[in-house]
Amino acid sequence: MVAEGTWVVVPVYNEATAIGGVVAELRRTFPNVVCVDDGSTDGSWKAVLSATPHALRHMVNRGQGAAIQTGTDYALRRGAQRIAHFDADGQHRVEDLVTLTEAVASGTCDIALGDRFSGDAAAVPAARRALLRAAVAFHRLTSGIALNDVHNGLRVLSRRAAERIEITADRMAHASEIIDLIAESGLVYRELPVRIRYTDYSRAKGQSWAGGFRIIFHYLVGRILG
Amino acid sequence: MTPFQIILVAVLSLVALATVALAMRGSIGRLAGVGWLAVTGAGIVFAIRPNWTTDIAHLLGISRGTDLLLYLLVLAVLQGFLLIYLKLRRVRRELTLLVRELAIREAERRGDGGAGDTERR
Repeated sequence: MVAEGTWVVVPVYNEATAIGGVVAELRRTFPNVVCVDDGSTDGSWKAVLSATPHALRHMVNRGQGAAIQTGTDYALRRGAQRIAHFDADGQHRVEDLVTLTEAVASGTCDIALGDRFSGDAAAVPAARRALLRAAVAFHRLTSGIALNDVHNGLRVLSRRAAERIEITADRMAHASEIIDLIAESGLVYRELPVRIRYTDYSRAKGQSWAGGFRIIFHYLVGRILG
Repeated sequence: MTPFQIILVAVLSLVALATVALAMRGSIGRLAGVGWLAVTGAGIVFAIRPNWTTDIAHLLGISRGTDLLLYLLVLAVLQGFLLIYLKLRRVRRELTLLVRELAIREAERRGDGGAGDTERR
């Protein structure tokens, strides 16, 4: 079955209250959920351990990009056919993940990316929309790739794509790095409409403009220094 | 020589000697050793003959020798920052790889004989 070959990687950093429910919901559809606790300090690790048999822990915080790559390495070693990225704060919907998974499993693309704008864009709060639009414009300039929604954490990669795309940007710039790697690799990607569940909780966890500039800085340094 | 010149020459000579010792032990690369020797050597020469910095400055279109030294110092500091930053990046990268490997090994150790191996081909 499609869901069984798909290993869902959930990077976790201080999400003790949310992670249990998110993983439980995921596992009703996707049996293989890998949680990578990125050195949380709030008891997330205990929640992760009881939520899934595939619990990994970074002893020190290394950033979301690093956590995703750790989960990916683990899942690939276990024979994953597809790798999915899913946020720990409950902002993604499992039914959207199913849609993306089917797109990759059917062979129409190597990578399926969640796109919160092509569907019901009004569901995205205005301040969020402006920030994310800025990120999109930035990417058109730097990688020449024209995506609707570059910083969406919901993705599904085929095994082939996951093996080719190695995330080295430890922190949040990994989203940008993935786009560049897709552009360079010639892998086939598709953006599919998804809905983000904006709750006070997930919104508080989201990026600020200051965070955005930090991402650009790390991204550019990474590009220049390799 | 003024007292300060004596101190400066003594300190720079010690640095030069330390450089030679480190290079001979292989603690620093040959290129780095030669570079440090050149810098300390120039320092000793300029400590004894401060006017030479002014002469060189004039050749470069700079009015004062102290300005020349200041510019060189700024360049050296920037270079130092860059080297340290690159080193830090490399160390962070290595740390990530180490943390990753530990996390995976720990999980596999815990999972041996347990759930999850059904997916292995």
